[in-house]
Amino acid sequence: MVWSLYIASLKEYLRDRMTLFWTLAFPVIFIVIFGLIFSGGGGNTYSVALVNLDTGSAGAQMVSAFNSDSAKKYLSVKNTTSVTDQNHYQDQLKAGKLDMVIVLPPDLSQHISAGQPSDVQVYLDGTKQTQASIMTGIVTSFVTSINNTIPGRAPLLNVAQVSVNTTTLNTIDYLVPGILAMSLMQLGLFGTALPLVSLRERKILRRLGATPLPRSAVLVSQVLLRLTISVFQTGIIIGIGYFAFGVAIAHPLTTALIAVLGALMFISIGYLIASIARSQESANGITQAVNFPMLFLSGIFFPLAALPSFLGVIVKALPLTYLADAMRQAMINSTPDFPLTVDLLVVVAWMVVCGFLSVRFFRWE
Amino acid sequence: MAVTTDAIRVEDLKKHYGQTKAVDGITFAVQAGEIFGMLGPNGAGKSTTIEMIEGLRQPDAGGIEVLGLQQPREANAIKERIGTQLQTSEMYPLLSVTEIINLFRTFYRGRPTLPTEHLIHLVGLEEKRDTRSKQLSGGQKQRLSVALALVNDPDLVFLDEPTTGMDPQARRQLWDVVRDMKARGKTVLMTTHYMDEAQELCDRIAIVDHGKILELDTPNALIHKFFHDVAIEFADGATDVATYQAMPGVINADVANGRVTLHSTDVPRTMGALLAREGDGQANFSDLNVRNATLEDVFLKLTGRALRD
Repeated sequence: MVWSLYIASLKEYLRDRMTLFWTLAFPVIFIVIFGLIFSGGGGNTYSVALVNLDTGSAGAQMVSAFNSDSAKKYLSVKNTTSVTDQNHYQDQLKAGKLDMVIVLPPDLSQHISAGQPSDVQVYLDGTKQTQASIMTGIVTSFVTSINNTIPGRAPLLNVAQVSVNTTTLNTIDYLVPGILAMSLMQLGLFGTALPLVSLRERKILRRLGATPLPRSAVLVSQVLLRLTISVFQTGIIIGIGYFAFGVAIAHPLTTALIAVLGALMFISIGYLIASIARSQESANGITQAVNFPMLFLSGIFFPLAALPSFLGVIVKALPLTYLADAMRQAMINSTPDFPLTVDLLVVVAWMVVCGFLSVRFFRWE
Repeated sequence: MAVTTDAIRVEDLKKHYGQTKAVDGITFAVQAGEIFGMLGPNGAGKSTTIEMIEGLRQPDAGGIEVLGLQQPREANAIKERIGTQLQTSEMYPLLSVTEIINLFRTFYRGRPTLPTEHLIHLVGLEEKRDTRSKQLSGGQKQRLSVALALVNDPDLVFLDEPTTGMDPQARRQLWDVVRDMKARGKTVLMTTHYMDEAQELCDRIAIVDHGKILELDTPNALIHKFFHDVAIEFADGATDVATYQAMPGVINADVANGRVTLHSTDVPRTMGALLAREGDGQANFSDLNVRNATLEDVFLKLTGRALRD
């Protein structure tokens, strides 16, 4: 019975071109547009601050390497030796005015002459995946060439990447996890509440109630259908991100788990809306009222740090904030806004509470 | 314990919505194998009564027994054995007739269902079997909903205004379905807006208004109980009821929409008086019709309103 209802609802879904568009095509269009805007062309030079805290020869050698003509093809470098300037440059990095800050530690030369390994620290925005990997690649190639001039067995210089959360406009890497979270939300809200209210308004639920079909079968088949669609949605979004814009997934299993939890959470929120709404119109209104704040205040299109602080309370109340944060952490290793466990706990809490309330208050007619 | 031969027993059933007494103490029984009709104006409480018997609504008070089972305690066992056709006939809009019937067949685990093709044939939807339900006309949707009520070959079927919106041919076809149910020993409880339908099909009829049963009997008994007379109908511009009321043999006169209905116990004398008036040039009759009283007349007399108000 669950299976036949599931198949029936799946057919209904696939034959409804409007819903199909909003749940599958719309996120794709979104990603393609943003991807074209933000993925940026190649051949840029990156603005870099080089902070040399080392007073020995190794540091000086590095500085001249980064200021060589071959380096200038890729990097425009500002040089300094003071810690004050380092702090200033790191603020600029966070504000998006610099792409990278390279720090040569004070004891670099000492360590090398003593034959001990040492780290060159590279501060950059790790969420801008493509850009970050190009820049670390450039730095690594210079460091390797210097490594080769040092006599000895093993390379002593290593590149240590430090990811910094910036408030710059997002790149496609940052956007894909957010858009995925947004699509799960819209499927849950529009794809659950509206069809259910419509089934109720057209008295189809009531007609089903006159058969021996258990009510749980209706609910279970509906949830399974939404989950199926969200799997396709997730696959399409991740696929486009990966193949069209080179956004790789850092932790695929965690991403899948978060996608399922996120879908379930918004399905249960959708059920709650269907329980509260008296008509198709009111369901639509409530859905929009839930959808819009989340769309703009959950850090999907711009980082939370870029929002005015008085909005913080609202931001922290929205479930999408946590889902998007978790998704970014899992997909692109972004710097957490909240610890991953907090994100997941919030998502599960919303899911359980809304699920409970909708089971309690859902009206069949 | 006595073996019941009643398919339905309803005892002092009540349902209130706020101040409105939708069902106000209804008691009746439907015998197994009977076609039982409920007639009443819109809002009389027919659908509420039926839906309480089906288990779709909870009564405020009263007892319901269906096929020997108690409602609502044994609601699931009842649902396996009954067929339900609601007044609203919307279905999954994007599924075809065949798909919807197939879906409903999976809902009945406890008993065999009728083949889909047979159901489609019963309601005459052969040409629409692959049409999506939103593209069906009102009458076709209605036929689909009748087919869905018959999916589990029910022992008792509820038809709530089954022929509304159907063309005359489809109505006749549905009448055949109902008669066939009876021939196979099944029980039918139906409501209808059409008096001819009730008179044609029903073994017994309950006339319902304001949540109460006004009369319950066979169609002929009801007609004879209220009319020992013949109805004379005609169109007449003059609408002076008193004139007609005073004519010999006339026991009741109605004027509605320029159409006069006289109930007469002495047709020759009444007709004589009518023809005399026309001869005097006082009146101009057209479209004259003399007939026996029908359920429609009974209904009008009991409820004071026409059935399809």
